[in-house]
Amino acid sequence: MSPIAQTRGKISPPSNLYTVILAVAFGVVLATAAYVTFACYTQYQTIFTMPR
Amino acid sequence: MSTLTKVLVVLLTVFSIFLCGIVVTYVANTHDVRERAKTLEQNLQRTRARQDAAIASEEEQKKQLADTKASLGKQVDDLKLLQGQLDAQIDGLKRENTQLVQKLTDMAAVVQTANETLAKMRDQVAVAEQEVTNLRADQANRSKELEETTQALMERTAVIADLQRKSRQLIEEKQGLETQLNQVLQQYGKAPARPRIVTPQRAIVQPVQQTQTPAPVAQTATKDIGLNGRVTQVDMKNHVAAISIGSAAGVREQMKFHVIRGDRFICDVLIFDVDADKAVGVLDLVQTEPQAGDLVATNL
Repeated sequence: MSPIAQTRGKISPPSNLYTVILAVAFGVVLATAAYVTFACYTQYQTIFTMPR
Repeated sequence: MSTLTKVLVVLLTVFSIFLCGIVVTYVANTHDVRERAKTLEQNLQRTRARQDAAIASEEEQKKQLADTKASLGKQVDDLKLLQGQLDAQIDGLKRENTQLVQKLTDMAAVVQTANETLAKMRDQVAVAEQEVTNLRADQANRSKELEETTQALMERTAVIADLQRKSRQLIEEKQGLETQLNQVLQQYGKAPARPRIVTPQRAIVQPVQQTQTPAPVAQTATKDIGLNGRVTQVDMKNHVAAISIGSAAGVREQMKFHVIRGDRFICDVLIFDVDADKAVGVLDLVQTEPQAGDLVATNL
């Protein structure tokens, strides 16, 4: 979809590789956030406030 | 999609994974702070309780220390008092020691004087023992002289007894001759003339037994006394014998004893020497040789 390709008329197939990479990165971040949330709740019984 | 976008996607993904790994690792290694806080608070409370207990114990120990200190102070005072008493006793003992040393010195002087006196007495004893030895030697010599004198006396007594025996024989011969002479003169109607005594009679020596003289007074006395004894020694060579009784039993000189053995008459003993517990006499009218152990008696 580059302008050069558009200009030349060459059609390249769409690649979802980077989408997958982004999905993986999102999943990793999400899993990390879930793990951190689980750990905070199990240890401090709270997620956003300071434990007493 | 541009290259820059791709690069950014890749970088974002890499950094996201890296950051998430760090976070997960950090959270996984994080301990329970609340539990730790509780534990620390409990430990703190325990430590404070221990501190309180330690403080109480320290106060109690301080109190005990003060009591002990007071007790020790009292003991120190008592010991000081006792030390003063002991010092006084030591002074008294020193004075007694000095007095005893003085007494010991005096006693040593007395002992030395006694030793000197003892040495002098020992010298005197040695001198006295020497004198006793000399006296014993003198006594032995005198005993020897006495034995010799006694032996000579016995010999002379034996000679006297022999002479008496001869005298009796002569008297008997004289009487026989006088009898014969009287018979002869009576045939012729004459009387014999009395012989003159040429040798004067001595008052000391008396014949033991004469047929013409009456019995001596001693014989009468011995019969009255009635003494009994035994023959202890016999000397037939000198015709003397010793008997077991002496002046202590009443034996006197000129006493006459009869020697008997069972029912037999052995001889007579005329005493001429008397000791306290023995007597010696001349044998007379000897029928049988007397022996030691024969009975002697004044009365038959």
